Amino acid sequence: MAAWVKGGATDAGTAIEAAASLLAKARAPVIAGLSADVAAIRAAYDLAGRIGASVDTAGSAGTYAELGALSRVGALTSTPAEAVGRADAVLVVGAAPWQAPLMKRLIDTKPTRGRAAGSDRALLAVGANATAALAWPAAGGLTEAVGVLRAYARGHLAGDALPGQIAARLAAAQYGVLLYDPAELGEAGIEMLQGLAMELSETTRCFTLATGGVGQDRAVVPVSAWMTGQAPRSGFGRRVPEHDPWRFDAARQVAAGEADAVLWLASVPVARPDWLSAVPSVALVADGEAKAGEIVIAVGQPGRDHGGVLWNEPRAALTYWPASAPTDLPSAASILGALKERLISGQTASRSEPAC
Amino acid sequence: MSTLTLRQAPPERLDFLNINPLALKGLSQGEAERLEVGTTRTGVRLGECFSVTLDGSDTLTIEGGHERLDRVGASLSDGTIRVTGDVGQRLGAGMVGGSLTVSGNAGPYAASGATGGTITIAGDAGDYAGGAVYAAKVGLDGATLIIRGTAGAHLGDRMRRGTILAGRAGALAGSRMIAGTVAALSVGDHPGLGMRRGTLLLGTHGRMAETFVETGTHDLVFLRLLAKALRGLSPEHAALLDRPLRRYSGDLATIAKGEIWAAA
Repeated sequence: MAAWVKGGATDAGTAIEAAASLLAKARAPVIAGLSADVAAIRAAYDLAGRIGASVDTAGSAGTYAELGALSRVGALTSTPAEAVGRADAVLVVGAAPWQAPLMKRLIDTKPTRGRAAGSDRALLAVGANATAALAWPAAGGLTEAVGVLRAYARGHLAGDALPGQIAARLAAAQYGVLLYDPAELGEAGIEMLQGLAMELSETTRCFTLATGGVGQDRAVVPVSAWMTGQAPRSGFGRRVPEHDPWRFDAARQVAAGEADAVLWLASVPVARPDWLSAVPSVALVADGEAKAGEIVIAVGQPGRDHGGVLWNEPRAALTYWPASAPTDLPSAASILGALKERLISGQTASRSEPAC
Repeated sequence: MSTLTLRQAPPERLDFLNINPLALKGLSQGEAERLEVGTTRTGVRLGECFSVTLDGSDTLTIEGGHERLDRVGASLSDGTIRVTGDVGQRLGAGMVGGSLTVSGNAGPYAASGATGGTITIAGDAGDYAGGAVYAAKVGLDGATLIIRGTAGAHLGDRMRRGTILAGRAGALAGSRMIAGTVAALSVGDHPGLGMRRGTLLLGTHGRMAETFVETGTHDLVFLRLLAKALRGLSPEHAALLDRPLRRYSGDLATIAKGEIWAAA
């Protein structure tokens, strides 16, 4: 097993010891990334609760755009399998969803189930220069563009301009799907898009479908809900889980000098944020290398080195992935457990009773 | 007049929810100094960062603010809090009555969910001033919020009742408004996007969304009443109503009962 402390290779025991002492002397530790299997996410929340840390995820920009809209207007959602099987009209909002693997399946196939079975699938695009049956570049930005479509769907705007044609095509469809990327569209845009789906669902069926999740955020949301009753960005400094998406934004905390130690958990590989190098960090990463943080411990990648429960994008569910090439690398959950044991026995925090 | 004087920059974010004239009234100086205001696992007591002088009155002055002071005047029901300096997020959140004055800048979510009283910020305010916090149904809900400087994006997001005055504001001012009045001398792009009802009174503005339609110029009695109401708060904002105004109706994506008044 590979581990590094300040760039020098060492063994796991020494690295765990160094990580524990870094976290023990921190005033406001942060556990970030959380791109891992369910066992490791659970262990991360357990550790955060024991040591009074706060938690943030790798893809929280998109996750909170989704959750913010969901908390206010709810959501009409579909799954990739339903979209491929039933959709006879797909509106792609923005440029990012065109990169999703799902797009190829939608382009290459026709609906095979439901009332639209056998008919052609119409691709509609807004906000991107795309090859589609109807493509509207939408100069005013995505949120405004979705608002215009919604105004046509409501009948508040009328005419055969391009957005009017797109709204009419969706209203005429048997099963419409609105495809978007949460981080690109933003909270206000998603709220407007849900409004459009609800408007169209007055007369036909129309659902939204998000693409392009970062890391394992889709797994973190349910795990944090069952562990804390809250959404992911929670802090345990005052012994109860407090949810505050602004205060516990890890990037903001580091920029403001509030966080003084970060544990970066990415056993499922995810892009490393720039702010991570501005603060002393412990990195639990698959395919670890010395420069990933002040203290680096290489852990197994779930689904490759060891089995684990991960978000299954095509099936839109949490599923178990057996090891495809088993190794003896430790799991991130076991390292987090060892850290917890070390920190509890050291009685680090002044408010040391468990938070959850 | 009770006074808290900042002695050193707080080592962590502080939560001032429980620091108000009413709560300090029954406490001795020692008890007040031992109040827990920290938010991390280490914790901070009031006396560690502030020197405390109490006289049991209903006015509290915080000498020397800091951008790490969160929830100053939150849930205030009566009395006055004056801050010399900056404050953090959620200034006066959920405030019911009384008066709150900040001489410096405020962080995001100022006056969120405030149902009564007056909040005045002499400097700038962050994003979502008078706006809704995560999962809240409404932003400003009846209080009066005055920002003399510049407010960030989403000023008055989802506000339901009350009045906001701002010098300048960023993009999406009055977004998703449910009702209420926002007046600003200048705002960025997309004012009122997603608004259901409510009134925006604007000096200059950026891009107006296509879902707002112009409904002409009008001379309404309501505008004169609004001018009268604003004059007491800020003559500069009342003066916006002295010239011909163009009325936009929207947001057509929603029930479209909102209105934007902008210089013709």
